[in-house]
Amino acid sequence: MSSNRLFRFPKPAWFNNANGRTAGVYTAGALFSLGFYILIDIASWSHSALNGSDAHVTFVDWIPGICSALGMLVINSIDKSRLSADSFSYSGNGVAWKARLVLFLGFALLAGGLAGSVVVLVMKYVVTSVVLPTLWLGIGNVVANGLVMLSSAVLWVAQNMEDEYTYNLAL
Amino acid sequence: MAGIKTIIGLSFILAIGFLLVILSAALFKNYLTLLVVATYVIAPLPNWLCGRAANHDDFMESSGSGVVDFGRFLTGFFVVMGIALPALLYHSATIEGGAAAMSVVGGLLIYATIISFTLFFQEDQDF
Repeated sequence: MSSNRLFRFPKPAWFNNANGRTAGVYTAGALFSLGFYILIDIASWSHSALNGSDAHVTFVDWIPGICSALGMLVINSIDKSRLSADSFSYSGNGVAWKARLVLFLGFALLAGGLAGSVVVLVMKYVVTSVVLPTLWLGIGNVVANGLVMLSSAVLWVAQNMEDEYTYNLAL
Repeated sequence: MAGIKTIIGLSFILAIGFLLVILSAALFKNYLTLLVVATYVIAPLPNWLCGRAANHDDFMESSGSGVVDFGRFLTGFFVVMGIALPALLYHSATIEGGAAAMSVVGGLLIYATIISFTLFFQEDQDF
């Protein structure tokens, strides 16, 4: 297993133990929660008395967040071991192909959410020259979508960690 | 080890936590901070429920660990929610800064009590 490594540096040992996996999943939940509550924060701040300007959060501001969350759901509901399923003889036809297609859709939704939040920031707030206290409505959207993406990446790494761990256990 | 002193200490900490949260609500006549208590009380629940739902007998399939991971994900979500909710309410000027700080500290005390209670008395559930 270690002889057909690609890179010069070996993977650190803590990378594969069960505690790292658990911590990764908790961290992913925490990051997602942070992103979600930043979205709620910009919505509530927009309709509070502190927002003196005319710019408000409308449904358009929610669309990138919804896309990101859907993408994260799609990516993490795929069983990662199905990605290499075609190399096994007992799996059905085209399972890996379907898994890759659904995974691609998930990543497209995630990236689209992040890009969409930047679009909302630029088109709705920067172009109309909104100044800083209200500009947080756009910045927070980008930060929230970035956090959802980061959470998704952490969850992905943590789940792959778990697969390798059980693999080592089975050997 | 986990004797009567542990129980007394934990109940004291729990009472102080509840006191802080209730004070943060009652002093400022704004009862939104009580949501923190609800958050931290339901925070350990997904772990317990999903731990029961997971299939421990299966070694080859990793079907059970997905449910456990989902429970952990939800727990992480709720723990951060307990801090994020008062910060959010403070940021939109719905509650005062003192109320936010008191409810965060009280909520963390309540959650620490729940966690250390399960840590101390986990040995009894082993079979």
